[in-house]
Amino acid sequence: MRRLLPLLLLAAASPAAAQPVVTSAAPDSVSVSIFRDPGRGEGGSIDLDWLQGFALISETRTIDLPAGESRLRFEGVAEGMVAVSAIVTGLPGGVVQKNRDAALLSPASLLDGSLGNRVHLRRTDGATGKVTEEDAIIRSGPGGAVVLQTPAGFEALRCTGLPESLVYDGVPAGLTAKPTLSVTTRSPAAGRATVTLTYLATGFDWASNYVARVAPDGRTLDLFAWLTVANSNGESFADASLSAIAGTLNIESDFDDLVEAPPQPRLHLSCFPTGSGRYGRPPPPPPPAPPPLPAPALEMADSIVVTGARRAMASPAAVVAVQEALGDLKLYRVPIPVTVAANGQKQVALLVKDAVPFRRIYRLRDCLSCEDGAREAEIVLRMENRKAAALGVPLPSGEVAVFESAMGEQLLAGEGRLRDHAVGETVNLVIGDSSQVRVSIENYVGSNGSAADYRVTVTNANPFAVDFEMGFEVYDTAGLDKRIRKLPRRDGQPTWAATVPANGSRSFDYRVKEAD
Amino acid sequence: MRALAGICAPVMLVGAAAACPAAAQDAGNAQGDLSVTIYNGGQSLVQDVRRLAIPAGRSRQEFPDVSAQIRPQTVSFAADGTAIVEQNFDYDLLSPNALMEKAVGETITLLRINPATGAQTSERAKVLAVNGGVVLQIGSRIEVLRDDGLPVRVVFDKIPPNLRAKPTLSITVDSDRGGTRPATLSYLTGGLGWAADYVSLYDEKAGTIDVQGWVTLTNNTGTTFDNARTLLVAGTPSGSGAPIGTTPRYRPRPQTNIRSAGTESAPREQLGDYYLYPLPERTTIANAQTKQVSFLDVSGVPARKVYEFTLDGFQTMTEPASAASVIKFTSSADGGLGDALPAGTVRFYQRDLRGDPQFIGENRIGHTPMGSELGLATGEAFDVKVQATIVSRERRSSTVWRTSMSYRLTNARAEPVTLDLTQRGLDWYWDETRIITESMKSKRLDSDGTQWSVTVPANGEATVTATFETRY
Repeated sequence: MRRLLPLLLLAAASPAAAQPVVTSAAPDSVSVSIFRDPGRGEGGSIDLDWLQGFALISETRTIDLPAGESRLRFEGVAEGMVAVSAIVTGLPGGVVQKNRDAALLSPASLLDGSLGNRVHLRRTDGATGKVTEEDAIIRSGPGGAVVLQTPAGFEALRCTGLPESLVYDGVPAGLTAKPTLSVTTRSPAAGRATVTLTYLATGFDWASNYVARVAPDGRTLDLFAWLTVANSNGESFADASLSAIAGTLNIESDFDDLVEAPPQPRLHLSCFPTGSGRYGRPPPPPPPAPPPLPAPALEMADSIVVTGARRAMASPAAVVAVQEALGDLKLYRVPIPVTVAANGQKQVALLVKDAVPFRRIYRLRDCLSCEDGAREAEIVLRMENRKAAALGVPLPSGEVAVFESAMGEQLLAGEGRLRDHAVGETVNLVIGDSSQVRVSIENYVGSNGSAADYRVTVTNANPFAVDFEMGFEVYDTAGLDKRIRKLPRRDGQPTWAATVPANGSRSFDYRVKEAD
Repeated sequence: MRALAGICAPVMLVGAAAACPAAAQDAGNAQGDLSVTIYNGGQSLVQDVRRLAIPAGRSRQEFPDVSAQIRPQTVSFAADGTAIVEQNFDYDLLSPNALMEKAVGETITLLRINPATGAQTSERAKVLAVNGGVVLQIGSRIEVLRDDGLPVRVVFDKIPPNLRAKPTLSITVDSDRGGTRPATLSYLTGGLGWAADYVSLYDEKAGTIDVQGWVTLTNNTGTTFDNARTLLVAGTPSGSGAPIGTTPRYRPRPQTNIRSAGTESAPREQLGDYYLYPLPERTTIANAQTKQVSFLDVSGVPARKVYEFTLDGFQTMTEPASAASVIKFTSSADGGLGDALPAGTVRFYQRDLRGDPQFIGENRIGHTPMGSELGLATGEAFDVKVQATIVSRERRSSTVWRTSMSYRLTNARAEPVTLDLTQRGLDWYWDETRIITESMKSKRLDSDGTQWSVTVPANGEATVTATFETRY
């Protein structure tokens, strides 16, 4: 046992010292698949100040590996890398272990890592400008300022009133500028390998933004959608194969928590009291928060959508994302390599569908005995998501801006939110409330004591006829009025549909049994 | 080296023997043969066998480089021929202020620097008091340190022995003989934890998954454990979770996706009810490091996808809602992963048309016995939806109600799918709910729920109707 020990110690020291480190500085090619913020509801837009979606990044790297055990360090990865999700394939010797090192180089860790070691204390004479350096050994940890051992004795750093600074000979082992991923591999032979590194990363998001331009006849609309992606990482991904994934994924991990480095030691310089009634120097204030992300991109984004839509004849899209099924999700691939810039937003056409027939419906949903006066009806654009109706493609959820012609210009006529629509579904897009089409639900004294008569009246102040639908929220069907019972059901609700003539009104009578 | 010799001399005078070797200690640390056992709850057992030169009689042994998050009350020490007198954990830390306060009554050296000429003058001073200012006696004069704001270097002759750079564990032992021998130090520490991460590539066509399991251990103790034999315990041997003062970063929520608990035993070592996962070789667990080591690699395990939708009560949905996509597989030795699975996160991937793996969602598992059936929801299906409608709801008598439901199931996929539709809320504040009629036979799961397994044709739809009778 006694004789074995030095060997053991040697073995202990060797892996860190002898293991060659191979650094892969940048990928050869990269593909980025962006997932929307799983917490964002239907529709919704990107919050550029805090991108809460994520991306799957897959990088191909060429690496020259020595024979035997080596450590492969990956640089040029996204800041928001979720290291525990990293998958490394293509190493001939496989992966022995993966490490993410997050002991960061800072004034405090430099001091802490040099504890007991020799450093140099540099002083500059204020009168003569003469610089003197003497050796010192650090004797205290970073918690309560620095005590040094100098040839003269024991002294405290920067308690003298002299300009003083510590100069280190080197960086303590194991400290890195940023959290770093490395893998240990054992190659059977030296050689070049093409390695794929795949990982999830935070700081991305995407959304679809629809622009619907209603044709002058009001019967069809041209539907166009932007695929808007944003990247708040400090890394740009040049000539990347870009795709976006629509649908809802189950996410359990807190990616932000996994990305953050653990709390790092902080350096507090404080001294013994000097002078009368002063308690040394107060600890320095905490470092200022990082500046917020530049906002201009947001304005830029808005202006793109608006200018794209305001023109009566928008330029056609040269590149449109290609959709494919990915299990139960939808994948939209940008067919050409694009650059996903650091702290930037990019828009590519997601889908283009021209001359989609639609109906404009005025709709109200209310309960049978809810008295109401002159309520505004919702304006609903109804489309059938079928090939026969010029659509028939998956419609990922997003915001919709609707433009109509007036005074020779295309003007914003409404905005709405779209949920995910599969092929074959009916799209009911609510784009606003009408003050021209209003609904009153009035109660009359019933013909007998146990029932009440109601009348729904819809009025139309428009100079054109409108289609109106009244959906009744029915809970109990016992004793339901035959007039309600006979109504066709739409989305589960008995629905009275009527065409209200221009500048006219229509009404519908029914009876409700008194609630028990 | 020349300069170091000058520095070392006063140290020797002080008699802090550890101080000078420390300077030459760059290469390693004082840790010996390390074994680290990590539990899920964020606490770990460290065993450190060091070679100590213990003199005969009573001596004090210091243990630098133990975990910075050591729970000193859990320390135990064993070395041949020694008896423990006392254990101390000293955390009187060295700082300029502490140094000055301990120097009250002592004599220090002041080096005054003339700011105009740079000339130095040295004088000895006695520290009288440190109360909001340092009162010094220099010869017959009484002064306040740096009251004039001029530069003064304060040089202390020594560091009091109880002031330390870091909290230090020391043990005073009584030894029956002198000599170097192995001494075992063991203690519990917070700041180390582990969980599993699974990478699961799902092949929809073949109906299989390839699964790689990684143990992920995190070290936030502030200390690096060098070349440690590492053992992971799948469990938290504590009734009430992690001890106070630990930060369980990787503690998975107690949650189960086990559809049917297994009854097989995995070919692994066990500690009571907990499986043990030893790392195959010694490893260095660096501070602030997250380390992953593979423990499972199986491919071609049968897996199938089902769609699931649950309604919590009778309701009319004005918009359809997506069904959950659930991937089902087993951890059985026969047609499954063939291992007990430690708790962690399972991330699913599926290849796109180009053949590149894409992420399709994740879920968590708890500690899962071998032989269990797992059903993990990866997300919501874009193309498979359900819309339920209350067709009628009528009172039959003062306590009996009849509710007719209609469920419309739509499938926009190019192949037929099977959807497990569950109606719950059958045993809410009414009871004895009976199914009077149904368009297809359901499986009553329990008094609260019933389930239809419906095949929805490709690019088509299916309708299920049922009438329930409920009693208040």
